[in-house]
Amino acid sequence: MADLVITPVREFRIPVTAECISPDFFAGKSLREVELTEVWEGNRRVKLGSLFKLEGEIGRTPNDCAVRIVGDVSAVRRIGYEMTGGSIQIDGEAGMYLGERMRGGSIAVNGNAGSWLGTQMRNGQIEVKGNAGDSLGGSVRGGTRGMRGGVITIHGDCGAEAGAWMKNGMIRIKGNCDVYAGIHMKNGTVLVERSCAGRVGAYMTKGKIIVLGNMGGVLPSFQFEEIRSSTKAGEEKIPGPFYVFSGDVNEDGEGKLFTRVSDNSDLKWNERFIER
Amino acid sequence: MPELLIRNGYVFDPLNGIEAEMMDIPIRDGKIVEKVGRRARVLDASGMTVMPGGVDIHSHIAGSKANCARMMRPEDHSKDPEPKTKNTRCGVGHTIPSVFTTGYRYARMGYTTVFEPATPPLKTRHTHEELNDIPIIDKGCFTLFGNNWFVMEYVKQGRIEELAAYVAWMLEATKGYAIKIVNPGGIEAWRWGHNVRRLDDMVPNFDVTPREIVRALCKVNRLLNLPHAVHVHPNGLAEPGNYQTTIDTMECAHDIVTETHPTMHVTHVQFTGRKGWAWPDVRSGAPEIADYVNAHEHVSIDPGQLIFTNVTWMTADGPAMFALFKLTKTKWFNADVESETGAGVVSATYKRSNYVNAIQWGIALELALLVKNPWKIFLTTDHPNGGPFTAYPRVISWLVSKEARQRLVDKINKTARTRLNLPGIDREYTLHEIATITRAATAKSLGLQFKGHLGVGADGDVAIYNIQPAKVDLAKEYRAVRKAFARAAFTIKDGRIVARNGEVVRSTQGRTFWTRPQVSEGMMKTVTSDLESKFDDYYTIRMANYPIEESYINASHMISTSAEV
Amino acid sequence: MSKTTSQNIVCTFCASGCDDLQITHDGRTVDSARNGCAISLSRFTSTKESRILKPLIRTKGTLRPTTFDRAVDRAARILNSARYPVLYGWSETSCEAISKGIELAELVGGLIDNTTTSCHGPTILGIQDVGEATCTLGEVRHSADLVIYWGCNPIHSHPHHTNRFTIFSKGRFRKTRKDRKLIVVDVRRTDTAKLADHFIQIQPNSDYELLTALRTAIKGEEIEQDSIAGIPTETVEEIADLMTDCEFGALFFGLGLTMTAGKHRNTEAALALVRDLNYVTKFVIIPMRGWFNVTGANEVSTWQTGYPYAVDLSQGYPRFNPGDTSAIDAVARGEVDAALVVASDPVSHFPKAAVKHLLGIPIVTLEPKSTPTSEASEVVIPSAILGIEASGTIYRIDGVPLEARRVVDPPVGVRSDVEILDAIIRRLRRLRGRR
Repeated sequence: MADLVITPVREFRIPVTAECISPDFFAGKSLREVELTEVWEGNRRVKLGSLFKLEGEIGRTPNDCAVRIVGDVSAVRRIGYEMTGGSIQIDGEAGMYLGERMRGGSIAVNGNAGSWLGTQMRNGQIEVKGNAGDSLGGSVRGGTRGMRGGVITIHGDCGAEAGAWMKNGMIRIKGNCDVYAGIHMKNGTVLVERSCAGRVGAYMTKGKIIVLGNMGGVLPSFQFEEIRSSTKAGEEKIPGPFYVFSGDVNEDGEGKLFTRVSDNSDLKWNERFIER
Repeated sequence: MPELLIRNGYVFDPLNGIEAEMMDIPIRDGKIVEKVGRRARVLDASGMTVMPGGVDIHSHIAGSKANCARMMRPEDHSKDPEPKTKNTRCGVGHTIPSVFTTGYRYARMGYTTVFEPATPPLKTRHTHEELNDIPIIDKGCFTLFGNNWFVMEYVKQGRIEELAAYVAWMLEATKGYAIKIVNPGGIEAWRWGHNVRRLDDMVPNFDVTPREIVRALCKVNRLLNLPHAVHVHPNGLAEPGNYQTTIDTMECAHDIVTETHPTMHVTHVQFTGRKGWAWPDVRSGAPEIADYVNAHEHVSIDPGQLIFTNVTWMTADGPAMFALFKLTKTKWFNADVESETGAGVVSATYKRSNYVNAIQWGIALELALLVKNPWKIFLTTDHPNGGPFTAYPRVISWLVSKEARQRLVDKINKTARTRLNLPGIDREYTLHEIATITRAATAKSLGLQFKGHLGVGADGDVAIYNIQPAKVDLAKEYRAVRKAFARAAFTIKDGRIVARNGEVVRSTQGRTFWTRPQVSEGMMKTVTSDLESKFDDYYTIRMANYPIEESYINASHMISTSAEV
Repeated sequence: MSKTTSQNIVCTFCASGCDDLQITHDGRTVDSARNGCAISLSRFTSTKESRILKPLIRTKGTLRPTTFDRAVDRAARILNSARYPVLYGWSETSCEAISKGIELAELVGGLIDNTTTSCHGPTILGIQDVGEATCTLGEVRHSADLVIYWGCNPIHSHPHHTNRFTIFSKGRFRKTRKDRKLIVVDVRRTDTAKLADHFIQIQPNSDYELLTALRTAIKGEEIEQDSIAGIPTETVEEIADLMTDCEFGALFFGLGLTMTAGKHRNTEAALALVRDLNYVTKFVIIPMRGWFNVTGANEVSTWQTGYPYAVDLSQGYPRFNPGDTSAIDAVARGEVDAALVVASDPVSHFPKAAVKHLLGIPIVTLEPKSTPTSEASEVVIPSAILGIEASGTIYRIDGVPLEARRVVDPPVGVRSDVEILDAIIRRLRRLRGRR
């Protein structure tokens, strides 16, 4: 794997849009060609080489490209756009739209990531050591298709609407999640290891949301099903016991919510529905 | 303005009986003239086809419902951005282009005149704001009347002359071009969540029938000597089988004959051309409809060709939109307009594998191929309902080449294939006929004397296409035909080159056509007094604020007619 | 000059579009105004207060009077050198001015955003997911036998709303107050709530739950909770019945829905509720928008760029993603390096983080009256008040366009927004060497 190291030469305030920072774009090009590639910084076209120092080697194919970005790129949008292979590692803060429409390969962020991470992702892996913003694995404005494959892992917390319009794939949040996790979900799995702020699964029609901590209540359009001793997230078995809800009834949905009994005393009232 | 001479092109000018004749077209001061001087700029059109600029009679490009659709569908736009260039403003395209992009895309195809076919009077100021902003093309809009309270009351009372004066007042107030009827009575019923299905159903609270509304407005059209026929979208659009209503609607005005043009134009007939009782079973009603059109002189139609792609439905027919939304379960916009009309917008996708979609696609082509006289049938996709107007070249390729359409026939839903008449139709359009249905006939239908032809005195609107008529076998080389019509070699508007090889080189301001029938003072007084007595009861704006001033329109072009009332 | 009374004048205050005002004036000063609400009348008679009368440029830290041409030149230079400027406001000016604004934003390559971003942006985002079942206000007046005000207080915000369009209005099919029922949903008993047949006092920030539960009840499904948003489930079901049993229902909603927890998901839920109701009866939903031409700003922006607000033209084509391309967020992140503000006061209305950054960048303001934003600007160009001193098109809340007409002259030397923006565009083109 050829290693290309990209370092910002200064702080970026004005937004930079750089879809070209991707193994697919770099593959087979020379360092010079990459440096001369133009990107948008606000309303000006600038050369990538004027924003970043580029060192190292570029692989011949996307799968041979390992890109490492060292520094704060929180103002840089669309890194990893539509990539199909190879890897991007960001040692710093990552910006919005990271890995949008990704089809393969991997992205790792040793820091926080912005909103709209993995929008319409089809395959591949994204892992963020810190926190992520809103709408991860979601859809574009007005669209009805979110993530349909691949795995997103957030070690910290994430914002609202994780997994919006998700069609398939796996989202794993090790920290807390803001409101509306799994909103409009069509299928796939969202696993939140700590707590949610509420309104989980709004409008979902299928798929599975597992919340190991407190779920923040349950919407009136979900119906209590049972208590189950365990469940699965992909192949991994997760011990419960879990309160299980199905819905969203307003959408004729058959999605399932699993949340740990031990962390949801505010949902205990549902136990009266358990058939004895 | 400078002089332009288009030399040596093969000219198609059906209105003047010219077919593939090598001729020069001289233009001065924006008009076609006998000849020009030596200093004229020369445009060499050798080996190319020269036609009048395209005239689109029915395309939803401007106004409240189009904008509601744009607002509702950002995902439609993000797929198809149009960056700004030296000569053009930026915008977005796909099913509902933004206004600048609309003008440019029409110009690229050699179109120079387009009509917005349905504007709600109370909001027509909005339509004109958008039309003002659409560059290059000349345009106009049809004012909606079929669910209007004043109209229904006059019809109920049998006061046709007063109705005529009201329509005249309204056309001037809205700066509209023609009378448009959409689902007569049905949109009023939609106030209560209902609809009207057949011509003789009663409109709730108004005690009139669609038949009465249509007949009355056809009479009015004649009394006012309006340049275009009454433009009709019949009842029953969302019914699985509705072709009979279409025929009944055409038949209901057969005795109201106008000398100068057909009484009625029925639009996007593919949507109301189905036979059957339930969706899984619908068939094509095109043969019956085509037979009727072939046998009668008082009607013309356009098919509203369907394209297998993602589309946006938009129409004044609110109840039909809700009915169809219940099938698609996508997004639905509805906007009723007080005392007048309504609108509905739904996003949808037509698929080749879908039985009903395949049948509808077939119906539209069957209509175009079975109606014998190309002066009675016009090329439309009812943009954006059947498909985007940028698909016209594709439709042309299907009309000129059986092979082209057969390729698609082989891919559509199998059952639909066996039930359509289309596979058995061999007819292939000639270039002359294409020129007819895309410009000559539409201009004639609209009563636009200076459009759709290249005779002396016509507007200098010319399209030059990369097709050599003598050499090309349209049926075999349909791909080349499609390409040629998609990107005109040259588009000339008012004698100026606005597009070259599909790139816009100059952006201009087009005219807005509207009609003012001259009604007698006495009759106008009566009607104005009727309006004044009821306006504040019917509307939530003042009558004084309702009419649109002519100065509002950037390049107003009034067409005056003398009325018989 | 002798006095005259102009009739049928359109009020430019709240977007209800009252157009029956009678303004008595002498061509320069408004003497009196009739038929409008108290707020509107005072707007017409107080035009002289706090006016900026001359263009101003900041020189050595102080705003000093200058000529129009110098102010235009400075404004053009500020925008010309900006790498990511924002053009903000637009809700209290004409469509014609907004159109110029978009032309300018495209020319300089910046963000153009209007005040939707801080009021009914959520409504539009909801419409982009669900759609909207709506109508013009006259339809409500003619037909509505059930009216709901949710999270809004029209008695104060839109004073003529109830007598022109709802419970105190007379329509073709509903002639008296008795013909209509009023439900008010709010967190406290407002003056509008006092008029209600049913007042639902909802727990703050739980509108989403109540809207969801209403949808469930209307669907005929069971709600398992005993209470929703502080309201007993039985009551929720009763409200659902009132909704399904009416002949024509109209739901009006305001910032109580759009700006509380859930934001655009709240409006999405309200839009979905009304859509669901259309399966069983006739129902419409209309937002209560505040600024008199914010609807117009959305309309013009949409037909020209495809998007209703938060439009980024910096890359030569329109891009839209509120949260990214919205003015408040871009400014708060410190990304914007210049601002043009037209008929708005973001220094007063933006959140702290955004104001902090705004105060550090050059601002050009077009404004009739002195505001904290104009006080903080580099360049201030005084503008005529639309609908009083300048004419232009505006859009009522329900999309009905009206011509707001000029009644009196603006103060000497004060121009309309259209003229000022046009001058800036021409100056910019000359700076860039174009015709």
